Amino acid sequence: MERRTFIKLSGATALASTLAVPARAQSATTVRWWYHFDNPQATPADLVAKFEAANPDIKIKAESIPWGGGNDYYTRLFAALIAGNGPDCAMVKLNNQARLLEMQALAPIDDMVAKWDARSDIPDNIWTLTKATDGKQYYLPLQYAVIYLYYRPDLFKAAGVEPPKTFEEFRTAAKALTKDGVFGFGMRGGAGGVDNWGPFVLGGGANFNKGGMVSDAALAANRTYVGFATEGKVVPPSAPTDGFQQIVANFKAGRTAMCIHHVGSANDIVATLGDNVSAVPVPRSADGKGWTLFGDESSAVFSASKNADAAFKWISFLSTAENNAAFVNLTGQLSVTNAGAKLDTSHPARFVEASVASLPIAGVLPDSPKTADFTGKVWPTNMQQALLGQITPDAMMQAFEALFNG
Amino acid sequence: MQFAMTSARRHLLPYWFLAPALLIELAIILYPVLQTAWMSLHDYVLFRPNNAPFIALGNFIRAANDPVFWLSLGNSLIWIVGIIAVQFVLGLGTALLLNQSFWWRGVARALVVIPWALPSVIIGLMWTWMYDYNLGVINDVLLRIGLIHEPIAWLARPDTTLPSIMLALVWQGFPFFAVTILAGLQTVSRELLEAAEIDGATRFQRLRLVVLPSIAQVLATVLLLRTIWVANSLDVILVMTGGGPGYASYTLPLYAFLEAYSSMQFGYGAALSLILTVLLLFVVYAYVRRAAAAEIAK
Repeated sequence: MERRTFIKLSGATALASTLAVPARAQSATTVRWWYHFDNPQATPADLVAKFEAANPDIKIKAESIPWGGGNDYYTRLFAALIAGNGPDCAMVKLNNQARLLEMQALAPIDDMVAKWDARSDIPDNIWTLTKATDGKQYYLPLQYAVIYLYYRPDLFKAAGVEPPKTFEEFRTAAKALTKDGVFGFGMRGGAGGVDNWGPFVLGGGANFNKGGMVSDAALAANRTYVGFATEGKVVPPSAPTDGFQQIVANFKAGRTAMCIHHVGSANDIVATLGDNVSAVPVPRSADGKGWTLFGDESSAVFSASKNADAAFKWISFLSTAENNAAFVNLTGQLSVTNAGAKLDTSHPARFVEASVASLPIAGVLPDSPKTADFTGKVWPTNMQQALLGQITPDAMMQAFEALFNG
Repeated sequence: MQFAMTSARRHLLPYWFLAPALLIELAIILYPVLQTAWMSLHDYVLFRPNNAPFIALGNFIRAANDPVFWLSLGNSLIWIVGIIAVQFVLGLGTALLLNQSFWWRGVARALVVIPWALPSVIIGLMWTWMYDYNLGVINDVLLRIGLIHEPIAWLARPDTTLPSIMLALVWQGFPFFAVTILAGLQTVSRELLEAAEIDGATRFQRLRLVVLPSIAQVLATVLLLRTIWVANSLDVILVMTGGGPGYASYTLPLYAFLEAYSSMQFGYGAALSLILTVLLLFVVYAYVRRAAAAEIAK
C-alpha cells in the first residue's frame, strides 16, 4: 500500500469512527450524579445497575465526591456549577439550599413530585421541612438522622443515675458521672459541634429570629452549656477542639459517659461496646420544650441540567421504598420512606427508636446563605473562645446575633 | 540577505523550543495569578457569581482593619521562624551524624527520609492522636515518667496548640534539610579539612570555619526553599485543629483558605492570598538572586 493511500484510509477510518460514537451515545441519556458516603468501601453500583436495568435508556454516571466536613463537597459543587460543568443531580443538605437558590442553580421539582406515585410514602413533616422559603420544592428527601444522646449503661449504673430527660437531670447526671478519670459528657467543641450545642441552647430558648440569640432565656441557656466546661468541669479539657472522631473514641474507651450524635455512628459504637451502649432523645427543658437537629439529606436536580426528567427518575428511584432501604444501608442513616423504614434492618432497634422519639422536637437550622458559614466557621471559633474564657458566653451569642440579624 | 534570514532564524530557534513550556507556564501559573489579582478587587462570593461588584482596594482595606488578619500574620511569622530554625538545627545535626562512617549508615539515611515521604494529612492525623488528651501516647509517656501529673489538652489550649502543630511539621520537614545538607557535606574538600586538622583546629572550629562556609550556598538555598514551603503550608493545621481553638492556630494561608472555602468569600480570600504572595516574593527574590549569583560563580 502506498503511503498516500494509507494516510487516506486512516483518515477515513478515524472520521467514520468519530461519527459513529455520537450515534451510539444518543441512544442513552447519561445522568451525572454526585454523592458522598462516609464509608469509602460503600458503593452504589448495585443500585445503579438495578436502575439501568429498569431504564435502559438512561445511564447513571455516579461520581463520589470527598465530603471534607461539607466544605470540600460544596466548594466543588459550586465551582462546577459556576463553570458550567456541574452534575445533573446531587446529594444536598438544607444548610446550603439558600446558597444554591441564590445562585439560581436549583430546578423546582413540584410538577414531577406531583406525578410521582411514591410521594405519599414520605411523611408530610419531612416534605414540610425540606420545602424552600419561596414555597417551592427543590429538594427530594433521601435520608435523615436525628441527633440524640448516647449513654453508657455501665457507667450510669455505677454512678446510680438514670438517663436524663431534662436539662437539670442532665447536669446532675454529668456531675455524678465525672470521677476517676471519666467525664460525664463528651462535648464537641470542634467542627460540627453545633449539633451538640443546639439541643441545649436552641432547646433552651434561643432562636435565629431578630433578638433570638440575646434574649434572657437564650443567654442563660448558653451560659449553662458553656459552664459544663468552664465551671462544672464535666467535659474533657480537650473539648474546644474535639471533633466527631474524638467524642466517639472517648465514649468507646469509657473516658466519657455521654455523647451526642445520630444513628450514623450506632453500628460502629455497638461493634466496640455491644449492649453496653444505648440512646435516648436529647434532654429538654422542664416544661417539655426542646430542640434537636434534623440531619437531612436530599437530592436535587440542577437548573442547568439538560436531562432533568431522567435525573428526577434516578433521584426518585433512590427515594422509593426498598431502594431507599438499600441506600441507607450504605450510608448508615435512616430511610425517609415509611416502607423503607420497615425494610431497614441495618441498625439495632433502640437507636431507631431514639431517633423516632426525637422527631417531635427535631428542627433544621435557618434556610439562610449564612447558615453554612455559621456552622463551619463562626460557631466553632466563638464557641472555642468562650470555652477558653477568651470571650464571655454572652459575647459569643452576640456574635451569632450579629451574623444573622446584624 | 540569505545570511541575515538564517541568522535571525538561528536567534529565534531557542525561543521556539522554549515556547511550549512558556505557554504552559502562562496558562497554569500566570493566568490564575492574574485572575486571583482581579478577583481580589471584587466582592466575589462564590454563591453569588452574578453579583460581584468591583470594590478596588476594598478587600485590602478590610484586611488592614481585620484583627484576625493581623493575628494570622503574627502566627505566620512565629510559624515560619520557629519551624525553619528548629528544622535547620535538627537537619544540620542529622546530616553531620549521617556523614560519619558507621556500618548501618545506608539504613539510617533511608529511615530518616520517612517523615518527609509521608503525606501531610497522615502526619496531621497521626500527631492529633498522639497529642490526644484522653488516649494520646504523649500524655501517657509524660505521666509515666512523672514529668506531668495530669494530661494536657495540647491541641485545645491557646498556649500549646501552635507549638504542638509546629513540632509535627518540624518532624515532617527536617529530613529535607538533613538530606540536602548531607549532599552538600559530600562536596566539602577533604584536603581543606585535613589541612585544618593539621593546623590544630578543633572539631567545632573545623565545622565553623571550613564545613559551614563550604556549604553556605546549599544552606542558603535550602533555607529559602523551605521558608517558601513552610509559609504556604496549611494542610497539617487544617487536619489537626482547623485553626482553633478560637483563632489560636490561624496562619495567613489558613485564613485565606477558610475565607474562600468555608465562607465562600473568594474576593477576600484572594486578597489575603495576594498579600501572602507579595510577602513571599521578597524571599523568592532573594532565592532567585542567590541562584543567579551561584550560576555566575560557576
